[in-house]
Amino acid sequence: MNDFNEIKDTLVNLDEQRLLQLVKNALENGIPAGDILNKGLIAGMDIVGEKMENEDMFIPEVLMAAQIMGKGVEILKPLLGAEETSSRGSVLIGTVKGDLHDIGKNLVAMMMESAGLVVHNLGVDIAPEEFVRMIKEKNANILCLSALLTTTMPMMKQTIDAVVESGLRDQVKIMVGGAPVTQAFADDIGADAFASDAGSAAKGAKALIN
Amino acid sequence: MNLMGLQGGQYRPLSPEQVETVHEASLKILGKTGITYELGLEDTVQMLEDGGAVIDRDRRIIIFPREMIIEQVAKAPEKVVLCGQDPKNDLHLTQNRVHLGTGGAAIKILDPETGDVRSTTLKDLYDVSRLVDQLDNIHFLVRPCIPTDIDEEDYDINMFYTCLAASSKHVMSGVNDEKGLHNVIEMASLIAGGLDKLQERPFISVITSFAISPLKLCTQSTHIMQEANRNRIPVALSCAPMAGSTSPLTMAGTLAQIHAEQLAGITICQLTRAGAPLLYGGIPGMANLKTMGYSGGAVECGMMNAAIHQLSNHIKIPNYNSSGLTDSKVPDAQAGYEKAFTALLASMGGSNYIHHSAGMLESMLTIAHEQFVIDDEIIGNCCKVLKGIDCDAEHLALEVIDSVGPGGNFMTAPHTMTHMRTEYYNGNGVTDRKSRDKWEQDGSLDIRQRALKIAKKLLAGPKPSYISEEVDKAIREKFNIVL
Repeated sequence: MNDFNEIKDTLVNLDEQRLLQLVKNALENGIPAGDILNKGLIAGMDIVGEKMENEDMFIPEVLMAAQIMGKGVEILKPLLGAEETSSRGSVLIGTVKGDLHDIGKNLVAMMMESAGLVVHNLGVDIAPEEFVRMIKEKNANILCLSALLTTTMPMMKQTIDAVVESGLRDQVKIMVGGAPVTQAFADDIGADAFASDAGSAAKGAKALIN
Repeated sequence: MNLMGLQGGQYRPLSPEQVETVHEASLKILGKTGITYELGLEDTVQMLEDGGAVIDRDRRIIIFPREMIIEQVAKAPEKVVLCGQDPKNDLHLTQNRVHLGTGGAAIKILDPETGDVRSTTLKDLYDVSRLVDQLDNIHFLVRPCIPTDIDEEDYDINMFYTCLAASSKHVMSGVNDEKGLHNVIEMASLIAGGLDKLQERPFISVITSFAISPLKLCTQSTHIMQEANRNRIPVALSCAPMAGSTSPLTMAGTLAQIHAEQLAGITICQLTRAGAPLLYGGIPGMANLKTMGYSGGAVECGMMNAAIHQLSNHIKIPNYNSSGLTDSKVPDAQAGYEKAFTALLASMGGSNYIHHSAGMLESMLTIAHEQFVIDDEIIGNCCKVLKGIDCDAEHLALEVIDSVGPGGNFMTAPHTMTHMRTEYYNGNGVTDRKSRDKWEQDGSLDIRQRALKIAKKLLAGPKPSYISEEVDKAIREKFNIVL
């Protein structure tokens, strides 16, 4: 039990060397890899996500935490059972067609991965048909759409409409975000959720699955 | 982020020639127009005469020869250290080193619970002092308000006691009379462990409004000032005329008159005790010509308070003045811009001890808990400007630019991590930069509401007394302490 608190604190304090050592120690002490992942690393990133929302941690620190966590996961990966790695959810994320902004989207992708979700980052300027194709291919249950331009926000509606037309609407929960996007807009275009920052996006995605 | 005592001087409203011109004008005023005095100052006047002044006792006018002024003013120390009970709060007043803090003698407060206006109490003084103790950008504590609920004769000792109990920052206040001064010195000596220790590390000082502008010596205040000199207690030589009323309407005329009053006051102090620690205390202000009341928030007040430091700096004496005031009755946008303008101008001017800059509204009549929090943020921003922009190799970041490369991003570069908490101002949390959605989620609070929340949180914390139990007992045996 103590180990997990130490792992969480060390991750929040961005101490990479110490964290990786703690992960190795925990494995040596016979603690299951899955527990280290869920109760230590992911739980630690949940705290980071909260601090990010409260503006207690700066974004660069959050990214650093995600990177450190990723290195911790690398150590655990070979020992994790199939169930533990995959089915928390399969997320597709991309910036809509006509929009090339990706920094925020990448931040969201990183936070979602740190939360234990499998994330397929499609990149920028993604056409509605491409999103639809990838939902089928990756068997996604969450679709995340990002836009930074007020001029490309309408493309979000077009993308959602394409998903509806393809008959896949019931398979995916759709979340939208980006600086000009609001809850009201999300409701208007028929999205299931809206998040205003990466921390709450990751939280929201987990909530959508459960 | 410790932003105390940084060097200002980036804003100089007077050119070097203009400084000389005003300085000469002030010497001329003292040599021709002279200073008058109230009844009861015969001893002081005699001292001045012995020191070279020419006295006309019928008209009650003192004329100061220029050599006399130059000789006496040179004796005043170039650096005055005002200490805190905690040495980390010591203020090194010299050159263009800038410090800002509270001002005094408000008599009204916006009640923190109801927002209504009411008279200030001893408890208000205590609470507000505790608040100031925890706000890092308020560098010193000039007694912020009058405890109107206690007997006037108990004011002096109780104001100082309450401030010293609630905060370890330097405490300054006016006193009513010489007896009050002696009582306060005695109490402070008990806390320091002896008068000599207090004189070595003065964590208290006094303000004396020795001059009644224009150009008149006030008997009571001058006596207190000289008594402070004799006891080696630092004293601020306050004179605060209102342009258009008690000094010429024009800024230059006001500066010249104030500088003359200061030269006279400093001369009196140095003749009383050579080397006496003092603060040049000229505070240029304006009359609101529509009402003839004091106008604190005008942008020209900021300009003049920067200029007056150029004059005190010219004679190498650290100065005390005012900025960061507003004429607004509430913590609104007007309060925001009046305070920001005047505080920034005075800070960039290099004034050493800028009081009245935290907590006040309605010129100097009213205080509010939330205003202290907002002003802490304003002052922090002003001081941050004085830090300037670093252009050394580390800050130019050429290696980083090269390693991140074209098209890359700097978010996780170690360089970003190294500098992100020191390069840009990080305040007390009152400034809001969230998205509208998050802001609405958090209650759509405006700055006044957010500041009040922060103040409440700070006051809910533990209440240490900086005065030890033993000393406290000794003080209460000697004096009528109401708190």
